[in-house]
Amino acid sequence: DDLGHPKRDLSLQHPRCVFQILKRHYSRYTPEMVQKVTGCPPDLFQRVAEAFTSCSGPEKTAAICYAVGWTQHTVGVQIIRAASILQLLLGNIGRPGGGILALRGHASIQGSTDIPTLYDALPGYLPIPRGTKEYDEEKLSKFLETYTNSTGLWHNLPAYTVSLLKAYYGRSARQDNEWGWRYLPRINRDHSHLAYFAEMKQGKVEGFFLMGQNPAVGGQHSRFERLALSKLKWMVVRDMVEIESACWWYKSPEIERGELKTEEIGTEIFLLPAAGHTEKEGCFTNTQRLLQFREKAVNPPGDCRSESWFIHQLAKRLIARARASNDPLDEPLRALDWWYPENEEGEPVVECVLAEINGWKTDPQEGPEGVFKSGFDRDGRPHHGPQLGRYEELKADGSTASGCWIYTGVLGRDGVSKAARREAQGRYGHGWGFTWPSDRRIIYNRASARPDGSPWSKLKELVWWDKDKGEWTGLDVPDFKKKKAPDYRPPPDAEGLNGQPGDAPFILHEDGLGWIYVPKGLQDGPLPTHFEPIESPVKNALYRRNTNPPVNWFTLEENPKAVPGDPRFPYVLSTFRLTEHHTAGGMSRWLSHLAELQPEMFAEISPELANQLGIQHGDHITVVSLRGGIEVRAMVSRRIRPLHLNGKTVHQVFMPFHFGAAGPFPGGSVNDLMELCAEPNISIHEGKTCLCNLIPERMPPGPDFWKWFQEKARPGAGPNRHPEEPPPGAPTGGRLIPGHGQHGKTH
Amino acid sequence: MIGEGILSSNQKPHKHVQEEVPVGFFTDPTVCIGCKACEVACKEWNNVPAEVNPWTGHSYDNTLSLGASTWRHVLFLEEAKPRGPQIAGPMGNGNGQDPFRWVFLSDVCKHCEVAGCLESCPTGAIMRTETQSVYVQDDVCNGCGYCVVSCPFGVIDRRENTAPGKGGAFKCTFCYDRQISGLTPACAKACPTESIRFGPLKDLQVEGRKRVQELRAQSYQDAQLYDPTETSVRGIHAFFLLLGRPENYRLPPRPEVPTIYLAAAYGSVVATALLALAFVLCVFAFL
Amino acid sequence: MNDRFEKRLDDLREEARNKGGVTAAGVKPVGGPIPAQLGAPEAMLGTGYYGLPFLKPPVWKWMIAVYFFIGGLAGMSGLIAVAALMKGQYQMVRVAMWSAGMGGILSPVLLTWDLGRPTRFLNMLRVFKYQSPMSVGSWIVSAFGACAVPGLGFVEWHWQNMQGGQLTPAVQIIAAILVIGSGMAGIFLATYTGALIAVTAVPAWNLHRVLLPFHFGMAGLGSASAMVELAGFRQPALNVIGLFAASAQVLVMLYLELRKHGAADRALHEGKSGWVLRIGEALEGPLALALRAAGLVPEAAIAFLLGALISRFGWLSAGTACANDPEAVLASQCGDKRLAESRFPHALEPATASSQQSRSSLPRKNTKEHKA
Ligand SMILES: Nc1nc2c(c(=O)[nH]1)N[C@H]1C(S)=C(S)[C@@H](COP(=O)(O)OP(=O)(O)OC[C@H]3O[C@@H](n4cnc5c(=O)[nH]c(N)nc54)[C@H](O)[C@@H]3O)O[C@H]1N2
Ligand SMILES: Nc1nc2c(c(=O)[nH]1)N[C@H]1C(S)=C(S)[C@@H](COP(=O)(O)OP(=O)(O)OC[C@H]3O[C@@H](n4cnc5c(=O)[nH]c(N)nc54)[C@H](O)[C@@H]3O)O[C@H]1N2
Ligand code: SF4
Ligand code: SF4
Ligand code: SF4
Ligand code: SF4
Ligand code: SF4
Ligand SMILES: [Mo]
Repeated sequence: DDLGHPKRDLSLQHPRCVFQILKRHYSRYTPEMVQKVTGCPPDLFQRVAEAFTSCSGPEKTAAICYAVGWTQHTVGVQIIRAASILQLLLGNIGRPGGGILALRGHASIQGSTDIPTLYDALPGYLPIPRGTKEYDEEKLSKFLETYTNSTGLWHNLPAYTVSLLKAYYGRSARQDNEWGWRYLPRINRDHSHLAYFAEMKQGKVEGFFLMGQNPAVGGQHSRFERLALSKLKWMVVRDMVEIESACWWYKSPEIERGELKTEEIGTEIFLLPAAGHTEKEGCFTNTQRLLQFREKAVNPPGDCRSESWFIHQLAKRLIARARASNDPLDEPLRALDWWYPENEEGEPVVECVLAEINGWKTDPQEGPEGVFKSGFDRDGRPHHGPQLGRYEELKADGSTASGCWIYTGVLGRDGVSKAARREAQGRYGHGWGFTWPSDRRIIYNRASARPDGSPWSKLKELVWWDKDKGEWTGLDVPDFKKKKAPDYRPPPDAEGLNGQPGDAPFILHEDGLGWIYVPKGLQDGPLPTHFEPIESPVKNALYRRNTNPPVNWFTLEENPKAVPGDPRFPYVLSTFRLTEHHTAGGMSRWLSHLAELQPEMFAEISPELANQLGIQHGDHITVVSLRGGIEVRAMVSRRIRPLHLNGKTVHQVFMPFHFGAAGPFPGGSVNDLMELCAEPNISIHEGKTCLCNLIPERMPPGPDFWKWFQEKARPGAGPNRHPEEPPPGAPTGGRLIPGHGQHGKTH
Repeated sequence: MIGEGILSSNQKPHKHVQEEVPVGFFTDPTVCIGCKACEVACKEWNNVPAEVNPWTGHSYDNTLSLGASTWRHVLFLEEAKPRGPQIAGPMGNGNGQDPFRWVFLSDVCKHCEVAGCLESCPTGAIMRTETQSVYVQDDVCNGCGYCVVSCPFGVIDRRENTAPGKGGAFKCTFCYDRQISGLTPACAKACPTESIRFGPLKDLQVEGRKRVQELRAQSYQDAQLYDPTETSVRGIHAFFLLLGRPENYRLPPRPEVPTIYLAAAYGSVVATALLALAFVLCVFAFL
Repeated sequence: MNDRFEKRLDDLREEARNKGGVTAAGVKPVGGPIPAQLGAPEAMLGTGYYGLPFLKPPVWKWMIAVYFFIGGLAGMSGLIAVAALMKGQYQMVRVAMWSAGMGGILSPVLLTWDLGRPTRFLNMLRVFKYQSPMSVGSWIVSAFGACAVPGLGFVEWHWQNMQGGQLTPAVQIIAAILVIGSGMAGIFLATYTGALIAVTAVPAWNLHRVLLPFHFGMAGLGSASAMVELAGFRQPALNVIGLFAASAQVLVMLYLELRKHGAADRALHEGKSGWVLRIGEALEGPLALALRAAGLVPEAAIAFLLGALISRFGWLSAGTACANDPEAVLASQCGDKRLAESRFPHALEPATASSQQSRSSLPRKNTKEHKA
């Protein structure tokens, strides 16, 4: 309307209202279509659908838990979006027992997106500044202007951003230098894992720190990634054992097959022993945003050191060098406020790091109401003022600092780390750890009450509006303005949270509403749409287009792909995990008590397929894709079943991805078979599917392999480019949109 | 029970040893997820050496059986039978019903009411603890191997050539060392689903019977308890719930304690000895 | 420690390479009763657990079989010595006591040798447990040794004196007592070994709990007199004992052939163990008997001794085979009928390459002497 708010039709009849658009879009997704695409018979689909929907309503809620079976696809984001649409429609968000739960992989994957190990985000889901012609975010003012919403929680973006800069640069962050904004690096293209490995392969990357990752096994097209590593000048590996990513230069298929010669590899490799998780203390943040502190159980053996020790010691040395130089490039290093006190082993005191993440008043002061006990820098000088209790206290005037605004409150004024609390009380375990934001155990929990503020049902009550007190109260900390009445309607000029009505739970969105139709921030369309994987045995039954249009193909000579229904590779390869092993195996293949439980690489196939190929249970067979081949044991099991897609029978081959060339329990690495390709929004790989073939014989070890591969896999016998794949060099996928929750203003 | 958290009898500190309460394990495959945490926890706590077998292909079971260096062992069965009320997926042969279930069971020393191993041990190395569990005193055992052939469940075995403890007979200790200090057995403690339940035997037996009724009601028709009380073993302290027949879990349907053969064997010994004595003396006397 | 595993696995992989593919007939999904032809009715039958055994096979090595033989021989030699003493045939007492004495020394040596922890042999005498034949046996062996070894000494000493002419009654009496002691302990030493293996969980053994002590005892008796005969004594008494022992073995053999327990004790009749046992019995039974009837005494004696030794090995390997055969255990507990309806396909087929590897690596864990 004239106020810039989108029109609404609560009767849901208007042909262009979201509901009608949704209906039109999904009208072709019938149970019969589901069968064509997935092989799931309509009656079964019916039963599952009924089970799910019948468990959603005022008295009941249903949760969706997903993990990498959903995410590791070129349509991964769309799959999760589809789930959120379902849950929004069924009223399963912000209510007890509802929600969409990402089953996180490692203990603090959630933590590593909150305080990201991602190239395109700053702590607290602030986008990292971009420095391209398209988006020039050289100046802070420009940046804030782009991203600060007039209404909703992101209205306070300036406070969050400036507080972060104060945490980074301390006194060097001043009004006159835009709080040190220019010290931050700018990104000018996709720097995600796959993208920089592609560049590494072209020799564009000189040096590489590898801490707690094993891309030579876990990375897609891992052969490609190993070859990429050989193009580095130097690399530092910090791990607990000598993983494939550290020993590829003398122990790898490439070496065995003579493609790489140790003496010809120029990469200088430093392998530094790391301390394991029991050998250091710190916080984990789990999938429910719960921070939990974990004590150190034992001291690391020998020279093993924690990440914090390593980074801290490295930083101290780099800063010292920067101080010695007057190179303007070193300015950011000189500006860093690296104040952390150390313990006797030279470890930064992690509690102080958490204190900084939580945030404090910046001007130093002592005394009781003053600084929290260990707020003194290495020279014993008071470094800052009192801790902050709530993110609402953050200011954009430099008077506050916070390393991650959403964590504010974890180590508040009392100086006690709430992450270390262990007294769970009530149904939601308040008193155990700390849930961001502000210990709200269920986010968006305003949705657990009707628009009028009363619980949907006694059974599912969580927070509600207390008329007498005139405030929100309940079993959880309300994720809502305490005093905002349900019937509150914002005046036209109202800003921030005041700009949102009293019945709008999703306070991060400008309008405070859950978005079924997402107008911005996504690379691929406002409504989830089905596309086949990059490599698929069938054509897309729904659209002329087979694959997700904006996907990043990595069109490269060394990255061939099979066309839909390629007769050379008739079977679907998918991957899964074994309980007995962990990811790329560094933490399990070297431990006899685990490895003895799953000592060898195998592939699971159905009795039907085995019959067809005359494969016996236990045979040594070879699985090939366009990228290569690995030898495995055949495990014939009824657990694996052929799919019946659109009249075509498609066989599946399932393999664990834990094995690699190194260590006492080596085995073929399934990622040698996968192709490089990245989902457009968050550049996740398609680790869950590609096309393969089974050769019912062992593969020749050593140099003869590729000759044998030419005969058996016949890469020469067909097109090795997908018809929808752009030519080399064409701009594709991975375009620079600010990821992870921050989309900038709606225009 | 699952959900009781630290109050569960799998986690709670206890005084069973001091109060001489008979304890037991109730293991329920219908909630087991086959994670093998029990198997690993046992080896870790008891410092049992790994035995590296090759890949067996017996589903996900690569340790094969209980033995001198495997005191907890998770069995993996793949059966063409429906699993309770579960919604089954589309079937391989394309035409509807083709039931399948993957069953896991964590096997362990049964701590028999009447224990073959204990009865047979000539050195008295095997003894009954305050909690009625059967315990091998490693510092007494001389490795004669008689217990090995006397266990009707094929549990205990002699550790042939791997340290530590080379040459001795080993099996589940029921974590006696943990129990005296009020801790619960490592395997039960580690079990994330409480498929293994540790606690006073009486309570577990009640619980077990309840569980069977529950499952029957949920159309697990072949659910039954495995606790051979009617045989000379007179019951086991680590008992199991089974779907289907015991032999599918490598559990003997009718185990007997070897001591029931004593009378006959000794009788024959004495008779033969006397026969020989009389005969020889006679022939020498009269020829 | 990793190196150990590394090497271990390399060997195994190598072995797998050599053994090549899988010999199993038809594609069989792992585990469970999923039949070769999908959807076949037997899908619903029990199948056991990959044909892995219910029981642990004995850990005893060859020393035990030899001990059974020596013990039997020595024990009954004690008895012969007593008889000879009664008859005043000092020469024969000497010879018999030599067998007894030597056996009295060898027996504990063999037993200790086989122990997992030999230095703890004496722990056997920590307790006396009647319900453990092994415990009872340990005391018998000790008692026998305590009589036979000094007994031999005194007999010899006494013998020297007799040469010397003047007799010392004290020595004579002690010798006599020790000889009699050896005899009394001996008859149990020769027979308890039968009980030792009969009172176990192994069907092939415990099914023959009555037979075994008699079988072993008679074998001991025959061996003892055979030894004496081989030392040159010819005497109707010895011959009658020889005939008696040999015919006893014939009876044993007949009994075993007639009273078969189906799968439960097939290890006694089929496979390697079955043949070893049969050969042993043929030697100590029919053959020995025939030779003796033909008056070929030394040949008969040798045949009997050989047979007695071999059949002991037969019983031991039969025990191993039976313990490794899940069907035997099931049959012994539920009868062949249940077995028939609840077959063990995995056990009935030649193993897959993988389980062949496990065999070589873990013979104690899933060998099946029977079918392999
Ligand atoms: N023991 C153990 N635990 C782990 C890990 C480990 O390595 N070992 N890894 C940790 C990590 S890092 C993570 S990310 C999580 C991952 O946890 P999970 O997501 O459970 O991991 P996976 O087993 O790889 O994948 C799950 C399932 O996805 C199925 N799948 C494959 N393709 C598709 C598809 O197209 N659609 C659907 N719906 N399913 C599909 C596979 O068959 C597999 O069974 O596990 C964590 N936990
Ligand atoms: N085809 C296919 N590919 C996949 C997947 C799949 O499902 N299918 N899963 C993907 C997923 S979800 C993930 S998460 C990745 C995982 O793949 P990676 O992360 O590459 O493999 P990890 O084994 O988890 O690497 C962790 C390493 O860190 C080491 N480590 C452990 N603790 C510490 C520590 O405290 N400090 C340091 N410095 N090192 C430590 C371990 O020894 C290990 O070597 O694999 C991905 N790859
Ligand atoms: S199961 Fe075997 S080892 Fe365990 S107590 Fe019973 S007889 Fe002894
Ligand atoms: S091996 Fe050890 S525990 Fe077993 S019977 Fe002999 S002495 Fe007893
Ligand atoms: S009780 Fe202790 S020893 Fe026995 S299986 Fe469990 S963990 Fe192992
Ligand atoms: S730990 Fe529990 S759930 Fe896991 S395998 Fe053992 S019994 Fe099953
Ligand atoms: S590995 Fe198992 S126990 Fe550990 S967090 Fe994951 S699920 Fe829980
Ligand atoms: Mo992951």
